[in-house]
Amino acid sequence: MRVSYQWLSEYVDLNDVTPERLAELLTSGGLTVDAVTTRNQGVEGVVVGAVLACEQHSNADRLKVCQVDAGTGEILQIVCGAANVRAGVRVPVALVGAKLPGGVEIKRAKLRGVESSGMLCSAKELGLEVRLLPTEQTSGLFLLPEDTPIGQSIVDVLHLDDAVLDLDLTPNRGDCLSMRGLAYEVAALLGRRSHFEEKAEGHHLDVSDTPQVRVRIESAGCHAYAGQVLQLTGNHQPSPLWMQMRLLAAGIRPIDAIVDVTNFVMLEWGQPLHAFDFATVEAGQIIVRDAEQGELIETLDGQKRVLAEGMTLIADPKKALGIAGVMGGANSEISVGSRSVLLESALFERSHVRRTGQKLGLRSEAQQRFERGVDPAVQIPALKRAVALLQQIVGATPQGGVCQVTSDSMPSMLAHEVCFSPARCNQVLGTSFQASEMRNVFSRLGFTVIGQGETENWRIMVPSRRADIQLEADLVEEVARLCGYDAIPATLPMLANAPGRVGESYKLQKMTRSLFTNCGMDEVVTYAFGHPESISCLRLPENHSLRQSIPLLLPMSEERSHLRRHLLPSLAQVALYNLNHGVKGGAIFEISRVFHPYQLPLVQQPEERHSLGALWFGHTDIELGRPTRAYTFFDAKGVLEYWLMVLGLQENLQFTRSHLPWLHPGRSADILVNGVTIGSLGELHPESALQLELPRAIWAEIDLTTVASLPVHAWQVHPVSRQPWSYRDLAVLVDHEVPAESLLIQVRKNALAVMPHLQLTAKIFDVYSGKGIPVGKKSVGISISLGLEDATLDDDSIQRIMDAILHGLRLEYGAELRGQDS
Amino acid sequence: MDMDKLQRDIPDLRSKALAELSSLEDRRTLDAWRVEYLGKKSEIAQWMKMLGNLSPDDRRMAGQQIHALRQTLESAFTERMREMDELEIERKLREETLDITLPGTPQAIGHLHPITRILMEIEDIFVKMGFAVVEGPEVETDAYNFEMLNVPKDHPARDMQDTFYLSEELLLRTHTSPMQVRVMEQMRPNIPVKVIVPGRVYRRDEDDATHSHAFHQVEGLVVDQNIRMSDLKGTLEEFAKALFGPEQAVRLRPSFFPFTEPSAEVDVRCIHCKGQGCRVCKQTGWIEILGAGMVHPNVLAAAGYSPDAYSGFAFGMGPERIAMLKYGISDIRLLYQNDLRFLRQFSQLR
Repeated sequence: MRVSYQWLSEYVDLNDVTPERLAELLTSGGLTVDAVTTRNQGVEGVVVGAVLACEQHSNADRLKVCQVDAGTGEILQIVCGAANVRAGVRVPVALVGAKLPGGVEIKRAKLRGVESSGMLCSAKELGLEVRLLPTEQTSGLFLLPEDTPIGQSIVDVLHLDDAVLDLDLTPNRGDCLSMRGLAYEVAALLGRRSHFEEKAEGHHLDVSDTPQVRVRIESAGCHAYAGQVLQLTGNHQPSPLWMQMRLLAAGIRPIDAIVDVTNFVMLEWGQPLHAFDFATVEAGQIIVRDAEQGELIETLDGQKRVLAEGMTLIADPKKALGIAGVMGGANSEISVGSRSVLLESALFERSHVRRTGQKLGLRSEAQQRFERGVDPAVQIPALKRAVALLQQIVGATPQGGVCQVTSDSMPSMLAHEVCFSPARCNQVLGTSFQASEMRNVFSRLGFTVIGQGETENWRIMVPSRRADIQLEADLVEEVARLCGYDAIPATLPMLANAPGRVGESYKLQKMTRSLFTNCGMDEVVTYAFGHPESISCLRLPENHSLRQSIPLLLPMSEERSHLRRHLLPSLAQVALYNLNHGVKGGAIFEISRVFHPYQLPLVQQPEERHSLGALWFGHTDIELGRPTRAYTFFDAKGVLEYWLMVLGLQENLQFTRSHLPWLHPGRSADILVNGVTIGSLGELHPESALQLELPRAIWAEIDLTTVASLPVHAWQVHPVSRQPWSYRDLAVLVDHEVPAESLLIQVRKNALAVMPHLQLTAKIFDVYSGKGIPVGKKSVGISISLGLEDATLDDDSIQRIMDAILHGLRLEYGAELRGQDS
Repeated sequence: MDMDKLQRDIPDLRSKALAELSSLEDRRTLDAWRVEYLGKKSEIAQWMKMLGNLSPDDRRMAGQQIHALRQTLESAFTERMREMDELEIERKLREETLDITLPGTPQAIGHLHPITRILMEIEDIFVKMGFAVVEGPEVETDAYNFEMLNVPKDHPARDMQDTFYLSEELLLRTHTSPMQVRVMEQMRPNIPVKVIVPGRVYRRDEDDATHSHAFHQVEGLVVDQNIRMSDLKGTLEEFAKALFGPEQAVRLRPSFFPFTEPSAEVDVRCIHCKGQGCRVCKQTGWIEILGAGMVHPNVLAAAGYSPDAYSGFAFGMGPERIAMLKYGISDIRLLYQNDLRFLRQFSQLR
């Protein structure tokens, strides 16, 4: 809400409070002021002038030469190009030496040979909010009312010395969506009294007079409805300049006197009003009823709208006239010819108005106020105020009395009672405020305190404008707010001491992040939304469950319309982005949730699993002495083996050939621990890579939710041999298809068969096929280290072991010895 | 043997041998020199054999002279050998000299994402203060995300968080606060409840420099008997000091969240200007980093803790915002762009 500082100062003494200070005060009171702007954008030396004569410039078709009385004691000759300049108008005159927004300074000038001592100004030149003004006020000069005093400073006439505070109100403070409500708040913050003189201006309305309009409430969406009919005498006319300026300061478009008055009173009282052309109201009968499903109405903005159940309508016996609290209908709009007007001041149900506005995609000032709660006590005062203003401004005369109908659901206009214990207040805040301080807070807020002392409970009478105060906690906040949060000390909770802890699943994620970065991998964080078709890169069959992802009801784009079930598309996108930006390659990973629905459409929360995805793409970084190369399957496997080892999952670990459709069938593996599949890795299938627009890349994924459920075995160190280890290398020829790992398992098995307590490691140091090796065979080099915990291995024993190993390899894999080394 | 000749030959041999020695440059010739002058067939050896032919007086004198000569040559030889060794080492060292400006062998350096870094920092601080870290579902029900947090349907407070709905009742959580209720339900009737909840949240906002449709939050919740708002302030002050430095202070400002009452926005002293006022803090000296408040009685009640017997505080902060402040990142979208040229800058650990 935009708040005029001058307007506010009519209700609260702000003599010693600058707009900036006021903004600070409000912000520290919880009503955030986003900005303070002064209405005057740099106008200086501009006064009201009367154009006495206006003649065509002899040398220019578009220019006129005007004689202007600007109260300077002499008649000024000013050349003007505006189309609407004519003798008799009053206009803003920038005198010689005047300044205008944008740093323009007015000088004496000759225009096509004619002397000009000043400039006649348009709204734009004065820095007014032209987007809010009608075209007749923005095209050409800004014409002033005929009775505007000549010579008066335009700054005063247009209230340009006002400042505007832009308030970002929280939804609980609907009371501050009005100048009066805000005045109560500012008065409370300053510890001053607010005063509202305009009450006295309200002309007496005879409530006993028979109203011209009859009202019936049939909808639960309306609590109270008051209406007054007024006869219009004058023509359609603008509202007075001061009112227009108030509206402009508030960011509201001035339209005509009637609409402006309803808006002005809404700003003043927080009570939205609506004006109907009473002639269009069939039988003078207003019915507030529920809309029928599919009912049509054309609203003031010219839009035809389809209504639904749960919306509340203002209607007459034959037709709908407007949508309650949201927008009026086009059929009952005040027009130039309107001779009588029905002013509506009603209290509509907050939730109905909100639902209706949301469904129709409308968001009016009125709607905003109803949603946040209008004071149930102001419908009649606001109506009276509007009637009085219309009497003054357009000479309207009330016809009959006020028609006032309330439903059973009408909230109380009286103050409501909330219990309050000063001791509990201090307990909750950790403060030691005196009871008198708290009493003072309530008095500043205009709340009545019933109760004495500090120990007993008080009853606080809260006026109806503060519907947000319902519980003791709300009153505690008021105390803290007005005493200042700075008065709250800093303490630590007095709790039983317990160590902090981190859940196992979360710990696993943290460890995994550290371990992967230890391996030189970079962590990425990508969005969880994706395109439904992005999953097709996995080359899954048409009916595969992974193709079923959860759609957002109202996505912001097709690209981000579904919850992802797989991380590959997101990581591939990161890889592509980086390759396109000149990054030669990378090893990236992400740990994030993937969402698996139990059924679609979604009826329950889906299964959320923690997934790890890793992608090696492009080339390794430039390194001295090592040529850059494409990442390989073994780069990925090495990282995973390290990770599995550190997690204690290397026992009963298997890499088996994978058949996942998105992986290269010959260069991929499923990862199993204790026979449970925890993930997979491999080169991307060329078709997947093509679809992802990636060159060759290695992909790995781990289901961390599964890993978290695996048992971790307790472990202890083994004693090491006191003797140095012995080493033997051997190279054997085997069939190309024999998995190297099975040879190691065989080595181990045969060696231990000879000597059960043998300490042994066996590692592959070379795999070779090609020149010198028969086709279909490969040479595998195995390095074996051996030792005993408490004795030396003699050469004979080693020979026996090696013989057993070779024998086993020959027997199981047809291995032939190529060489042996010690 | 002629004593007179010997008297001439000894100094001659000495100068010849020493002159030769000083000209030798390698071990091989040096060895040959040793054989020639000090070996079994050397002149000195022959002289020694012939000493017996001399008169006792001459023999004693010549013996001494020859012995002295031998010692001189031997020590000259040792000295020369030592010099040679030194030269050899020097030459070798010279040959082995490296360009020490070449880079060291690169270590595998990976980088944690800045959001993770900040999350870890935040978690470590709170775990040390005795908080437990728990996680909750990202797909939430309307009941947990709003209604049990004192935000009924059709309440304007829902405007504060535009929501991605998946169905009438299911949505992507707009904050980590639903876990306040879930955690209390799980722990009921035990106290104290003392947890933080890190995780992703979603809002239906257009992405721009300061908004993202997806971001992270860390929720905090403490419930016990007699938890005070001053405890909230003290706890957050400890946190701010641990995260931003011991000179930090926090400031609470009144605000509104439906699920806390009283509610507060929490500021820390601007970490750029140390509270002096600068562009980052809009000259105020303070920077808002989180929202907090006392758990609303309706929320306690919804989770099964009687508001008459228990009280609590809750807070929620955004690691993205903290990361942006701490690392001088001006656009939140950079955190989700995953440009490796950006991410690889996060290598320094302190």
